Amino acid sequence: MDSLTFIIFCPLIGAVLIALIPRSFEVLFRGITLGATGLSLAGALWIFSEFELGTARIQYEELVPWVYSLGINYHLGVDGLNVGLLLMGALVAFAATCVSSEIRERQKEFYLLLLLMTGGILGAFASLDLFFFYFFHELALVPTFIMIGVWGRGANRREAAFTITLYLSLGALIALVGLVALYLETGAHTFDVVAMTRHVAAHPVSESAQNIIFPLLMIGFGILVSLWPFHTWAPLGYGAAPTATAMLHAGVIKKFGLYGLLRIAVPLLPEGAQRWVGLLAVLCLGNLVYCGLVAMRQKNFGLLIANSSVAHMGFAFLGIASLSLIGVTGAVVVMIAHGLLAALTFGLGGYLHQRLGTLEMAQMGGLLRRLPFVGGVLIMAMLAGCGLPGFANFPGEILVLFGAFIRHPVIVSLAAWAGLIIGAVYALRAVRVMLHGELPQRRHDTPDAANAWRKLPYALLLAALVVFGCFPRLLTDRIVASAQQAIASVQGSSVAEIQHADDRLFGGSEPTKASIGQRGAFYAGQEGIAAGRSRRQSGCSIRLTGNAAHE
Amino acid sequence: MTVGLAHYLTVSVVLFCLGLLGVIARRNVVIVYMALELMLNATNLALVAFSRFNHNLEGQVMVFFIITVAAAEVAVGLALIVALYRKRQTAHVEDLASMRL
Amino acid sequence: MHAASTHLAWLVLLPPLGAAAGITLLALNRPAVSARLSIGAILAAFGVSLVLFTQGVEGRTAWTWLSIDDGRGTFVAELGLRLDHLSCLMLLVVTGVGSVIHIYSLGYMRGDRSVGRYFAGLSLFSFSMLGIVLADNFLMLFICWELVGVSSYLLIGFWFERPAAADASKKAFLTNRLGDFGFLLGIILLWAAFGTLDFAELEQRIGAGTTPWLPSLVGLLIFCGAVGKSAQFPLHVWLPDAMEGPTPVSALIHAATMVAAGVYMLCRVFFVFAAPGSAAPDVIAWVGGGTALLAALIAVQQNDIKRILAYSTLSQLGYMVLAVGLAGMAAGAHPVPAMYHLTTHACFKALLFLGAGSVICALRHEQDIWRMGGLARRMPITFWTFLAATLALCGIPPFSGFFSKDAILALAWERQPVLLGLAVAVAFLTSFYMFRLVWVAFLGPAKSQAPDHARESPAVMTLPLLVLTVPSVVAGFWGIDSYLIEHFRPGEGLSAPGWLGQLTAPFHHAPVAAFSGLIAALLGIVFAWRLYSHRVQDPLPGLLDAAARPLRDKFYFDEFYGRLIAWTQDTLARGADAVDRWVIGGALVKGASGSIELCGRLLRLVQTGSLQTYAFLFVLGAVVAIVLMLGW
Repeated sequence: MDSLTFIIFCPLIGAVLIALIPRSFEVLFRGITLGATGLSLAGALWIFSEFELGTARIQYEELVPWVYSLGINYHLGVDGLNVGLLLMGALVAFAATCVSSEIRERQKEFYLLLLLMTGGILGAFASLDLFFFYFFHELALVPTFIMIGVWGRGANRREAAFTITLYLSLGALIALVGLVALYLETGAHTFDVVAMTRHVAAHPVSESAQNIIFPLLMIGFGILVSLWPFHTWAPLGYGAAPTATAMLHAGVIKKFGLYGLLRIAVPLLPEGAQRWVGLLAVLCLGNLVYCGLVAMRQKNFGLLIANSSVAHMGFAFLGIASLSLIGVTGAVVVMIAHGLLAALTFGLGGYLHQRLGTLEMAQMGGLLRRLPFVGGVLIMAMLAGCGLPGFANFPGEILVLFGAFIRHPVIVSLAAWAGLIIGAVYALRAVRVMLHGELPQRRHDTPDAANAWRKLPYALLLAALVVFGCFPRLLTDRIVASAQQAIASVQGSSVAEIQHADDRLFGGSEPTKASIGQRGAFYAGQEGIAAGRSRRQSGCSIRLTGNAAHE
Repeated sequence: MTVGLAHYLTVSVVLFCLGLLGVIARRNVVIVYMALELMLNATNLALVAFSRFNHNLEGQVMVFFIITVAAAEVAVGLALIVALYRKRQTAHVEDLASMRL
Repeated sequence: MHAASTHLAWLVLLPPLGAAAGITLLALNRPAVSARLSIGAILAAFGVSLVLFTQGVEGRTAWTWLSIDDGRGTFVAELGLRLDHLSCLMLLVVTGVGSVIHIYSLGYMRGDRSVGRYFAGLSLFSFSMLGIVLADNFLMLFICWELVGVSSYLLIGFWFERPAAADASKKAFLTNRLGDFGFLLGIILLWAAFGTLDFAELEQRIGAGTTPWLPSLVGLLIFCGAVGKSAQFPLHVWLPDAMEGPTPVSALIHAATMVAAGVYMLCRVFFVFAAPGSAAPDVIAWVGGGTALLAALIAVQQNDIKRILAYSTLSQLGYMVLAVGLAGMAAGAHPVPAMYHLTTHACFKALLFLGAGSVICALRHEQDIWRMGGLARRMPITFWTFLAATLALCGIPPFSGFFSKDAILALAWERQPVLLGLAVAVAFLTSFYMFRLVWVAFLGPAKSQAPDHARESPAVMTLPLLVLTVPSVVAGFWGIDSYLIEHFRPGEGLSAPGWLGQLTAPFHHAPVAAFSGLIAALLGIVFAWRLYSHRVQDPLPGLLDAAARPLRDKFYFDEFYGRLIAWTQDTLARGADAVDRWVIGGALVKGASGSIELCGRLLRLVQTGSLQTYAFLFVLGAVVAIVLMLGW
């Protein structure tokens, strides 16, 4: 079996196994789930470490034609955009299984659905065919609804399950309309993303069609990622979801929409992207500022982290909206970091809920004394959430802010405000109220994560955050080449636009004489610029003339 | 007079309509079931007739298919009806309007 | 040989990091092990710094942390270390003062149940502070800047069960973040404009000229970072509250090193402010001067020994910032006075805090000076070292503070006489409130039972005091300023005169500044003596009447900010919450779900559940389909 198929089918086969085993063998279910997700994790780690750097080529490719008449292929493969996501997904799935010991009822169904979800997630990220891409995503999504409805917490879990179903189905539907329209408009008669990309490079989609399809995909995928103002399902759903579901959904499934934007919408619809990213950038402020403010008001820790997780998605949107290599790379890093962090915070929230029976912050306080491990990890998670260096979120956010600045200076300033200040306010408030202060009498016997087994999921997620935070090149070196390819089609016209923005920002350069897109000639053609900037430009043009001389 | 395709088809249509009438009008589930079988056999008759007059065997293949499926279906269906009867003490269609037990 | 020596810089940086990581992972519950690890690491860093300093190593070494080339400009984030006079001197200050304070902590923290966590935080702080000192580009500086902030957060909130400490830590972090916001924007703007973050390259590119408004804007934004970290007006409010942390932490982080990081950063990137036509230096000078005066005024009416020292720190930081601003006002100047004062201040202020800690320990955590008194006899070592540091702070020759403060006054005399007047006023206030403290706490009569049982602290605490006294007294003769001038103007370092020359140089160089500063300081001492030598209660409120209240209440900044923040954040958050709940969650979603539900109800009418109706409709449909297909 090929490695990617192995990664995807481990959980699916595990699910079948669980379905076949009678209910009375309850011990087996958890073991099988751990084994299956563990094998997937091992496979994903292996692929991540063996991944060849510096190329945008698709690796570990598997291509099995399936429906000839429609051009549907079973096509798997990884490049820089999804290799990290795949690893993150497998890691979160493993951690989610570890924390699921809180589930006591209907274990068979729970673990079955958990495995289906995991298989769907990994399949969606590994698929390079629109059909399977969508199919696997739905496979992951459906268990979410059931799990919230059956194992969820709180009185309003039915309502939450209902809302989340409606929203996500709507989002998926809009995206589907966009994808079908895209399929028809490209005229390539294939669902294979790679083949489509190749086709579009030669025969671009007409601009009017791009201007309609891109917003469809943007809104459809945006709803799946809780883009403001379509975000209200998220806090409600995550507040009611069982821990593992919240971890997997907030951490991993949500990234599907962003991944879709990067993998499909931006490369295939460059002009549509050019035209609509302005709106996307404005909407992402809704996430960053507005949801951040909402998070500040929350009295329930579960709702606080749910809102903060929605808020952080803004950085990923902003990175995509930058349409620059630095920003897009940052967006992918943010996606991975956010997945790990969201899983970690929801996991910790689940632990606290299990031990305290509530997540109302007013009923906590001083817990750090009783919970040195969980509390310590929670502090670190909160600090990671407000963008502290040393955790993976920091390089992602920094790249996004730097990458997006030239195109959206005002929005970046506001985003930095949101990330540095609003994020810190609610994170520190949560630490202050829950962990610091005096310990209430009735909390004196709250137990900490006792053994290594209990600590494992949190330690794993935190370690991943720290490793990627200290050595971000583990991610960026893999991402850059593919990110470059993803925005290559946009950049032809983008250079001109960015230069325009640049001039607006720093004033005073002549309109370019050089032809758009030929960067060398472009920079060399710059005269009449402010003296300070000319140094950098001359540096650039020297380098580029050097290249020209070689040619 | 020779018996032609039209005669076979007429009989088949009559049988089919009788069966349909039974399905739509009768109240007892068992009778509805038998009427359903009648409709299937009406189709079988038409298929065999086509097969005979078109000089190929594909129609007869279909017939065997239908007979096999019908047998299985009868077994499952009757079992369901018996189970329903035990639960509800009725075999009337109008009493079975809701999905709840 | 030389290349190898540059790499030694990593050996300064990594031991504290290793200690922090090691303690966190392995020794959190083993006080002795964690203390040894932490102290060993800082001593190792001190040793290597000493080698680097004496060998005069210069150069840089880097490790690429992130690098993306998008064809327009490369985004390179390196963890680059730069060794030159500026960083070597600062390394010595940080590791030297740091080592002393680490050892002092052994005594001060004895018996606390979380000693492991304490030393882990201290080591993390040392690592990140050394990172700031060594950074050779803005991104590394920012990374360490944030890490310093978080280690300060963890240490202020070390006794997190006390609500005051927990609140103070939160306040410190958030206030710092406000400054960091501007700092980060400034960094991004610099990168967007010049395409690099490396100090050396930026210096060249800015020096080559640029659009006129850019240096002013960038300078102000970067200065925001220093305003936060060095607690300048209007973000000064966190520093006094930060005194809730353990006293050695206050000494190391909130007096000697971290708060000075803002000033160090300003000196390090002085080229940004020195760009011709920049409006930033004027703002910097006035903010610094204003902070100095404001804090000194508030200090006059504080009663908590650590808070007095905290406001005095604010005031001295104001001096340093003032010096940076003054230096930037004229072309071709250098901020040596600021760095000079930073160095001497680190020594004597750390000494003051450690002395205060010794007193607090002896009085079993009594911090109100009006409950002390007569400690000079009971704690002689603490008293004499404290007095030496006080004289240094007040700028009495030949103590070190005199020379560094005089350098600032001389600069002000040259540039802006109004600011000289302000600085002299601050000098007067400084010696007034410091000698008020000395008289009330150490010399005057005992004001409560507490001092009766006070005894001199153990050697592990008094030895650090004695060690720090040496530089506090004689650092003025070491030629620190000429060493620094070498950095900004190679070859112009004054040939250092003998120690007598050093002593009298200020009076030759700028006699007006030197004499006015000295006279103001002496006046302050006299006033304090007249007012406080025998009092058991503060006479000042009676003398000043209503004017004393705002001084005691810190000019109501906390209240004002509290209201302001509560009001704006609350309004915003409340608005967002309401929109979420009623508009998006209510009108839109409920509307959408309502209309769908209506459709559902309508469709439900068709669903009778009758099997035969379904069958009939099904047949009808089939017939219609057949009819349509056959085209009748």
